[in-house]
This record gives sequence, C-alpha cells and structure tokens, in this order.
Amino acid sequence: MILPALKKTYQGQLVLDIPSMEIADGSITAICGQNGSGKSTLAKILAGIEKPDDGTVTSDAARSVGYLPQQSYAFHMSITSNLMLNKDPEKTKQENLAHAQQLLKEIGLESMAKKNAKKLSGGETQKMALARLLMKSYDMIILDEPTASMDTASIPTAEKMICDYQRRTGCTILIITHSPEQAQRLASHTIRLEGGKLCE
Amino acid sequence: MIGSFGEAFRLIFSGDSTLYQIIAVTLRMTLTSSLLALLIGVPIGTWLGSARFRGRKILVVIDRALMGLPPVVCGLFCYLLFSGVGPLRALRLLYTLAGMVIAQVMLLCPMAIGMMESHANNIAPQIRENTKGLGIRRFRTLLLTMNESRYHIATTFLTLLGRALAEVGAVSIVGGAIMFKTNVMTTAIMDYTSMGNFKTALALGIILLFLSLALNIIVALVQGRFEK
Repeated sequence: MILPALKKTYQGQLVLDIPSMEIADGSITAICGQNGSGKSTLAKILAGIEKPDDGTVTSDAARSVGYLPQQSYAFHMSITSNLMLNKDPEKTKQENLAHAQQLLKEIGLESMAKKNAKKLSGGETQKMALARLLMKSYDMIILDEPTASMDTASIPTAEKMICDYQRRTGCTILIITHSPEQAQRLASHTIRLEGGKLCE
Repeated sequence: MIGSFGEAFRLIFSGDSTLYQIIAVTLRMTLTSSLLALLIGVPIGTWLGSARFRGRKILVVIDRALMGLPPVVCGLFCYLLFSGVGPLRALRLLYTLAGMVIAQVMLLCPMAIGMMESHANNIAPQIRENTKGLGIRRFRTLLLTMNESRYHIATTFLTLLGRALAEVGAVSIVGGAIMFKTNVMTTAIMDYTSMGNFKTALALGIILLFLSLALNIIVALVQGRFEK
C-alpha cells in the first residue's frame, strides 16, 4: 500500500511533512520517533481523525482501518460490553462473546469481565482498548503507543496478541512507538520521524 | 417573623386543600416541562457539542443568548401566540396548564441544550477518536456520548426543575394564576403577598425550599448508586 505525501501545520507551525512511502501489505511497520516528532499526527491523519493541510488520504470503502488512540477511552459499561461495541458483524452474538472472553483471558482481564470499565486503571484501560480493537478483522490497524501505560510484565502479552492477530488476519499494522526496542521486536520495517520529517 | 414561620409550618401539616392544590399544579407543570425540555435538549445539546461543522459557533451563541431570555418576554410571546388574535388561538392554550408547560419548555430548552453542549464539547473529542477508530457510526457515537453523560443529564434535570419551580413571569402571563387551575406556588406567593396573607405565602416559600432540597437529595442518592 502507498502512504501519500502529507503535510500538517498547527497554528502556523509545521508538525508533519513527509513524502509518499510504500508499505508492504500484510506487514508490521513501526513508526518511531521522540515526543513531538509527528508520529501521532501521522496516525490520526491515516485513521481519518484529522485532515492534512496538504495531501489526501483516500478513504477506500473496501479497505477497513482500525485505530487505537494513545488515550484509550473506557465506556461506562462492563468490560465485556465495551468489547462487544466492536463485535464482528459476520459472527453470531455467542461467537462474539466467546471471542471477547478469549481476548480478555489473553490480556489478563478475564476476572474483571463484568466490572464497569470506568473502574479500570490507565494500564488496564489500555489493555481493554487493545482487546476491543482486536475483536474484529481489519485490512489495516494503526496502534498509537499501544503499550505505553501498561506495566512491563504485560507488554510481552500485548505484543504477542498483536503478532497473533496479524498472523490470523493477514492485515497491515502500523505501530507508533517511541521505543526502538519495541519496534525491533515487532516490526519488519521501521520508519523514523524527527521534527515532523522522515529521518533517513 | 418567627411567628409567621410557626404558622407556616402549622399550615403545611393542616391538610389545607387550597395549599395542596397549588402544590399539585406546580409539580405537574414543573415535572412535565422539565422532562420535555430534557428530552428535547439532551440530544440537540449533545449533538451540538460533539459535531464539528461550519456555523456551529453561531448556533452556540444563539443558544446562549436564548438562555438569558427574560421569562416575561417568553410569556408575552406565548400570550400573543395563544390569545384570541394569535395563530394558535384554535388550540385554546391560554390560561391552561398545557400553555404554561409550553412556555416553560421554551424557556428551559436553551438551558438544557447549553448545559449539554458544554459538557459534550469536553468529552466528545476523546470519545470520537475512539469510536471512529473502531468504525462506529455517528449516530451510535451520539448515543454513547449521551450514555457517558448520564450524571450530567441528572444534574441538568435538577437545574431545569429548579428553574421551572422558581419561574414566575411566563407562567403568570400564560396561566393567569387562576385558583385551582393554573395557580402555581410562585404566582400564589405573589397573590398572597399582595393580599397581605404572609403566612400562606411563607408556607409556600418554605415548601419550595424543601422541594428543592428533597430533589437534590434524591439526585445525590441516585448518583451514588450509579457510581457503585
């Protein structure tokens, strides 16, 4: 797939200015960079949350894109109900519920399935949001710092879930991370951003 | 003054039918108008606070201006609509409880919209980012945003009820303060005060205060249950 050339400014300040890039379909690509390098802006533009000042992200109806924002939101309902918000329309309710339970078990939230998601800590909310996104198959998913709030013991589990999902669905994954180690562990390709520009 | 308070309490527990009639009319009017304003204002306010479109700010400014609409102006407008020369004269709403409810809904709706708009404006960006990321459609996102605002909706309802209970200008013009029909607590307080019957006026004032206190306690208890 081709990522178009994109430009974005905030209050007159250029925060993103990248040329067109090619990303291999079905791969995991990491977008690395320090704080303020334009990683999240790029993720939001690709997910259709924000519009670029220059460049067009074509919204292909046939290509589904899932996005996990940096600040995950827990809706005021049980954790299972939160996951069921993203149920797969091609599965039955029972199948979706079974999938939700399996994902919660993998991420370590099974015992809290009936708990109100508002009661979760920041790290737990991020785990739940990741499980929620993985409920359904997408052609591409964009993960913005998916393990930033998690404790170190939970990170390998989350990373394994991401890799398993990619193998199972064959989707393209863009993972935004400030950790070069995480990029190395997960991704086959890495894009580095610095000051909103592509770093060779 | 203290003697008047004592008399007022005696009157409240004396089973005075006129007093209870006034309270019943007041409760019917305020609960109906507050609920209707809430039903209209919550979805509109949530949408206005969540959506991003050209002209949104103009709508917000208009709503804030309407929040400051003097009740007597609203009452006059409704009077002209419902009176013998008004376009809605056939509905015979003047000097009826239904007419008073309509006048109050017109007053309360901008308030409900404004309160929900400012709340939704704060929480919507994060909700939108998450729902859009999951591919959830706009209408469902609006429903989820309203679900997230449940405590605020309860607070809004309480505020509307308080405003409806205390309102006198519009209901006196549209209702005419007809005894046993459209006389509510605030208009009755005005009537009894002008007649020099301070004890009954004070009794009604005390009941108004107690109603407000009771409603606050109920909402606090309901919120406490939700939080558990």
